Amino acid sequence: MNRDWADIWGGLALGLLGAGVAIYAGLRLDFGSLRAMGPGFFPTVLGVALAVLGAAVALPAWNRAAESPKIAWGDASAVIGAILIFGFGMNRLGILLACFAAVLIASLPAPHDGWRWRILLAASVTLLCWAVFILGLRMSIPVFPKLP
Amino acid sequence: MTAWEGLAHGFGVALQADVLIYCLLGVTLGTFIGVLPGIGAMAAISLLLPITFYISPEAALVMLAGVYYGAQYGGAVASILLRLPGTPQSAVTTLDGYPMARQGRAGVALFVSMVSSFAGSMLGIVVLVVLAGWLSQVATAFRAADYAAMMVLGLVAASTIGSDRPAKAFAMVTLGLILGCVGTDVNSGAQRFTFGQSELMDGINLVALAMGLFGVAEVIGNIRNAERHAAPERVTFRQMMPTRDDLRRMPGATLRGTGLGSFFGALPGTGSTLSSFLSYALERRIARHPERFGNGAVEGVAGPEAANNAAAITAFVPTLTLGIPGDPIMALMLGALVIHGIQPGPEMLTARPDMFWGLVVSFGIGNLLLLILNLPLIGIWVSMLRIPFRFLYPAILIFVCLGVYSVRGSAFDIATVAVVGVVGYLLALARFSPALLLLGFVLGPLIETNLRRAMLISRGDPMVFLERPIACGFVIASAALILLSIWRRRIAADSH
Repeated sequence: MNRDWADIWGGLALGLLGAGVAIYAGLRLDFGSLRAMGPGFFPTVLGVALAVLGAAVALPAWNRAAESPKIAWGDASAVIGAILIFGFGMNRLGILLACFAAVLIASLPAPHDGWRWRILLAASVTLLCWAVFILGLRMSIPVFPKLP
Repeated sequence: MTAWEGLAHGFGVALQADVLIYCLLGVTLGTFIGVLPGIGAMAAISLLLPITFYISPEAALVMLAGVYYGAQYGGAVASILLRLPGTPQSAVTTLDGYPMARQGRAGVALFVSMVSSFAGSMLGIVVLVVLAGWLSQVATAFRAADYAAMMVLGLVAASTIGSDRPAKAFAMVTLGLILGCVGTDVNSGAQRFTFGQSELMDGINLVALAMGLFGVAEVIGNIRNAERHAAPERVTFRQMMPTRDDLRRMPGATLRGTGLGSFFGALPGTGSTLSSFLSYALERRIARHPERFGNGAVEGVAGPEAANNAAAITAFVPTLTLGIPGDPIMALMLGALVIHGIQPGPEMLTARPDMFWGLVVSFGIGNLLLLILNLPLIGIWVSMLRIPFRFLYPAILIFVCLGVYSVRGSAFDIATVAVVGVVGYLLALARFSPALLLLGFVLGPLIETNLRRAMLISRGDPMVFLERPIACGFVIASAALILLSIWRRRIAADSH
């Protein structure tokens, strides 16, 4: 069935998140009164509002036809992988190795074949990165891998 | 301080060597980002936020503002040459700019867009000075209830105007407000949604959130799409000379666009994208031969370009005089100021005249720089469109990581960027606006503080929002906007 899945899933996720927020804030945080609102007042009200809005997005979408967008999982995982490798690797691998690896991984989903340009790109971005952030801005990140 | 004294003061600030350099840097980078389809001013400004820690608040704001209005100039280039809007604000420029390029008049279209942008900005600066002076006097009468009501109006306006599904827009704003709650509650010290993570005690990092939502999410979404366009033709300075007929048609459209842009830019929640669309609609309505539009009418480029640049300038009015950002980009600007410990408000003009007037004068200088740099250098900007996206985005990702890391040396923030990046990509794909999320995130703590204060003062009586005339006005306007959007949807449903 060709329903508006983007709105159904989006509305459902937001609605559940809102309900969760309202329940968590209602149980864990002091609600207070209208006169002296506690830390739980705003989150509880907002959580309920988000739950209602999520339902308002998802329900009408059930009877509406729409083209579902294609999620590029491959592109997303390459980008996220590159960020995580760089973020968690730079203090252990050093900025040069982490940057080279991250650029290589990030370039994987690019719609252009060949390895030479990927390696050249990784090398030049690494060089640029070292020049700007280590030479120029003097950030205190290890340059080379830490030997055990 | 009179306006003349203020301007003299502003020249003193804006002509300092470092402020000038950051102004030049900002407008150049802004044009570059604007020219490239796929990366917007939001991404560029969030990328630059960490750098602003190292420079003076004046230079920081001047640079970020330069990126914003510089991107408005650059956005038109890809719109005209490739029918790909470089920024959302310049989307409407494709309607007549691209047909002009097809007729071999790309140079003229670029000339018209740049001169109109310049005129719109310059007149926008005058409007900014007048409105800010007036509003900062009116705003001294504002109390907590009025601020809370005004910010709610801003969110309602941003969610209803120009949005085809208001429920989705409101959901995004609400999600932003909830994310704004994360951290230590200011009044009670209670931990909200921190789950024992010490990195979350100061709240979610604005830089990480903005970079994830705009930098990373835009990269993921554009890896496959950004290289589908053909290479643009070369444009030389000589081809930019307009004909006498073009020159006759331009000034009226530019002036009308400036008027619309200045007005809607200063209103919270509406912003420059809307005003460029309105300007185009107006030009077509009043034209003697409306059939010319869509086939390369000069007015269709001049009006919208003047409108979006004027709006980009007057958007600073509520941000600087009330401390209320009218659109997500202003929310980032406000974030940059708050990072420097400056909370804009009605006292800003008198307490920090260096900041306000320095910024005003830098707008003038920056726009002049844009005009004199971009007209002769247009060939360079056009050749930027030949750089394949695959060479750019890995470098953008590395800069995002190092930028976030430089804020407080936390790998947690980099992980936040990764998570927010995926969520932002999925949201954008399902047509939920991440920009509204950010607006809610920045306004959330301000709304909550003012709401709690107002209710404490009124002893828990919510009628305070209807008894105070200022707050009541905002409440009525918000209600009217919601009713209007329901009514419009009903009409749209009936006509199907």
